[in-house]
Amino acid sequence: MKFGRRAFLQIAAGAVGGSLLSPLPWQLAGDSARWSQNWSWRPSPERGEITKVPSICTMCEGGCGIQARLVNGNRAILVEGNPANPVTEGGICPLGAAGLQFLYAPYRISRPLKQTKGRGNISGFQPITWDEALAELGKKLAIVRGESKAHTVACITSGRQSSMDDLWQQLFSAYGSQNLFKMPTQADGLRSSALLTTGIASPYTFALENATHVLSFGSNLLEGAAAPGRAFAALRQWRQNGNVKLVQVESRCSLTASKADQWLAVEPGAEAAIALSIAHVMIAGNTYDADFVKNNVFGFEDWTDSTGKRRQGFKTLVSSPTYSPEEIAKKAKVDAAAIRALAKDFAAQKNAIAVWNLGHSDLAFNTYDELAFVALNVLKGNIKTGGLVNLTADIPLGALPAVEKDALAENAAQQKRLDLTRDKTAPVPQNGLYGFLDSLAHGSKYPIEVLMVHEANPAYSLMESRLFQAALDKIKMLVSFSSFMDETACLADLVLPNHTALERLDDVKGIPAASFSYYAVSSPILKPLGDTKNTGDAVLALAGKIGGTVASSVPWKTYEEFLKFRVKGLAETQKGAVADKAGIRLTSAEPVKPNFKDGDDLWKKLKAGACWYDAPAEMPSFKTASGKLELACQAIPVAAAADDHMFLPHLFTIKLAGGEQDFPLLLVAHSTGYLTSGYLANPPFMNKLIPDWTLKGNEEFVDVNPQTAQSLGLSQGQSASLRTTQGEATVRVNVTSAARPGVVFLPKGLGHKAYDEYIQNKGTNANSLMEVLLDPVSGMGTVWATRAQLRRV
Amino acid sequence: MSEKGHAQSGVRFGMVIDLDKCSGCGACSVACQAENNISFRPDESEKLRSITWMEIYQLTNGKDYPDFRQAFLPRPCMHCDSPHHSPCTFVCPVNATTRDENNGIVTHIYPRCIGCRYCMVACPYHARDFNWWDPSWPKPMESMLSPEVSTRMRGVVEKCTFCHHRMLKARSKAYVDGSDPNKATYTTACADACPTKAITFGNLQDEKSEVAKLSKDPRAFRILAKLQTEPKVYYLSKQDWIKKLSDNALK
Repeated sequence: MKFGRRAFLQIAAGAVGGSLLSPLPWQLAGDSARWSQNWSWRPSPERGEITKVPSICTMCEGGCGIQARLVNGNRAILVEGNPANPVTEGGICPLGAAGLQFLYAPYRISRPLKQTKGRGNISGFQPITWDEALAELGKKLAIVRGESKAHTVACITSGRQSSMDDLWQQLFSAYGSQNLFKMPTQADGLRSSALLTTGIASPYTFALENATHVLSFGSNLLEGAAAPGRAFAALRQWRQNGNVKLVQVESRCSLTASKADQWLAVEPGAEAAIALSIAHVMIAGNTYDADFVKNNVFGFEDWTDSTGKRRQGFKTLVSSPTYSPEEIAKKAKVDAAAIRALAKDFAAQKNAIAVWNLGHSDLAFNTYDELAFVALNVLKGNIKTGGLVNLTADIPLGALPAVEKDALAENAAQQKRLDLTRDKTAPVPQNGLYGFLDSLAHGSKYPIEVLMVHEANPAYSLMESRLFQAALDKIKMLVSFSSFMDETACLADLVLPNHTALERLDDVKGIPAASFSYYAVSSPILKPLGDTKNTGDAVLALAGKIGGTVASSVPWKTYEEFLKFRVKGLAETQKGAVADKAGIRLTSAEPVKPNFKDGDDLWKKLKAGACWYDAPAEMPSFKTASGKLELACQAIPVAAAADDHMFLPHLFTIKLAGGEQDFPLLLVAHSTGYLTSGYLANPPFMNKLIPDWTLKGNEEFVDVNPQTAQSLGLSQGQSASLRTTQGEATVRVNVTSAARPGVVFLPKGLGHKAYDEYIQNKGTNANSLMEVLLDPVSGMGTVWATRAQLRRV
Repeated sequence: MSEKGHAQSGVRFGMVIDLDKCSGCGACSVACQAENNISFRPDESEKLRSITWMEIYQLTNGKDYPDFRQAFLPRPCMHCDSPHHSPCTFVCPVNATTRDENNGIVTHIYPRCIGCRYCMVACPYHARDFNWWDPSWPKPMESMLSPEVSTRMRGVVEKCTFCHHRMLKARSKAYVDGSDPNKATYTTACADACPTKAITFGNLQDEKSEVAKLSKDPRAFRILAKLQTEPKVYYLSKQDWIKKLSDNALK
């Protein structure tokens, strides 16, 4: 038989038909499908029992209740809110939800490192053991102290409130140095304005939960609030009840401004002017709480100072035509009628509150701005027991023993804190970190031998970045306790890595600006992954190495023992109660009944993720010179006040560097909800949230009003050179009506030089372009805007 | 068969998102990524390539300063309930994406998917993303992958599943407890995470459920309702400009 074309086709068709009838091709297809999904590059997560571990988040100041999900007790797969937490009731912020990306970050430091080459040379880091690392630093600290130079040791610690603050304070007192600073937070401003007006250095608190009318001056309630959990919970409650009016006074159409019931768009830096003008209207119309003012307030009427000189009071000052809505409207570039309407509304509402400084980063307001906002609350009679504004109550934790000071400590303590050795020091000095760096950068009275940095990344997150750089040149040894290879750790001479937030025992002392008391213990969700050490334990070990009175001032063997001691003290007061379920009204004035037996019982409950709370405290009696709430702040020395209004809230702007000719625009750096700008770098999960009009590839955008863009010849997406009095950067332009004409807005949180490919070299560090202005009263750094120019490139 | 033209049980999972409460923080989106093993890349700024099941859209009222306003709109998969088919399930040539008529969840079966992306074209909500690359995690972060959700591979489409695995867990639990699995309810990761409690999830068929009540709120609307895709995700807002935008095509 001849094998022809026909036969070939028959056989071929038969083969195809036959094989389709057989199970073989289906089997192969199934196999290949299965096989193709089992490439080694596709991780196959290990299975196992899933458990939940409650804890408290310490990644920011907010202290939210969280719970982590673990597989087989050793692998964390999710961080979620703890529904039993009375503040957040199960909610969580994006940073908290992405928390595991810090625990499992590739840029974590897993063992102590010593720089063996020049500062900043990453290849020079050599791993050393903990014994070696602690011995080296301990020896250095002992030698410096032995040479009677204890005052030349400094520390910058996190802006977060925790028992670590008290431990550092104890160590520094015993050691003999006053150069202990916290990273700047807006609570610094609430503390300094409280000190000036009440004589008590406890930050003002706002009972947001009890207000029906919230007049917010530039507060970042919805984008990076200091305590996002509480801010979100407040928004939820306001919207649920539907009877709360939120008014935002701000220059940018931020999310808070958009979500507010009313937004008053003003010039940057004119927020306090609006407040003073509202005060003007309220006083003129007699719509303020005259009884409260008469009985509790000093300096509303004209007054006599300690030298017998007659001084102008707040009423006289603010009643002048300078503060009339018509005049202020010109300055703030708003409608005078809008100010009058705002004032009428604010005065009419029974539970109206003026709030400010609810963000977590640098101060935007100077002392006199803050006093203006305080004044509005004074006029409403808010600042009293049970009122909407109060002072942060101390958490009655176990008190630390009195510091034993030997001769070395006594002598070194004679040396003033470095920021107070400057020629022009502030009359009522506060957290003077910027002043400290400024004196170092510009020839200080004494050098700094050792700077320790704890839970902070000043090389990146301090404004006017070159200040830290310049100061660093004068610092002989930089020690970082960071868990991550951040910008500061890269520059360190010695790195003693802390456990990350989810691996360590830590605590949270209060929620910033919350009227109720709050304390929580953050227990580790799993064992530390690397050879790291809780900085609390490291500090205790260092004290031991220094020996003598330094060691005996911190008599605890471990940080856990220290925290237990503090909680025991809290339990002994039998104040407050443990909250382990949602629905508790924390702002209720009802006295709280303790529901714990003793220290051990309270410790057990706190370690299990519950929190301790207490009702808003009574307003303590004022410790001012007059014994009253002072609108005329007598804490400001007469010698420092050239003029009557230097005691009073008044129109005051710290002049920016640079002329309008060269720098016709203002640059404002702002927080956003999708970028973290503090100690932690934006995690990959949150990078997905960054809009493509903020970051495209590695290029960051500035927000510019269409009108301004047109006058500069710029269109959407175009590259431009942004030059300020502090530095220069290439940016792209996002033309948006959210921006005020004449002002350029740059989001904070990008422009990292350290970490990994997910965040490194993306965008511009806004901090490097901003100018820090030292406040003339508190000496703290304020950052409200910087003069800038924007040009096409 | 119901009036909708397809078999339907008494369970129809749906979601209501209150835009007046939503602060646009993105916690829902991050929680979703962590819950569902969503992969990420060094550059996430090319939004057409970025995989996000819960996308946060920015809405603006288009007015000039200072009348300008913005809002954020979280967008999961709408799990369209249109008769017989959702737009995506209708076009899928390999039955990789189907609607489970027992609960209304539109699922996507990765091993079946051939990566033709027809469903992405069909979806009016841009709810679907394609894996253009092999997913990869920095080595230590492989430890945080959840064993409850399979990781995807290059060449397949993925989208929000309404945390389908949580439903399976709830049903298993109900079965073990001896109650009716068909009555089991659960919540999604996004609804759990939301710090302002703007997201409500539940059975739309259950008259007593919060989600069913809210979906009939006078503030309620659905996106692109005119296409009659019958989304099971409702939005609430009292702002007229936001409601008006719901009828626009999403950019």
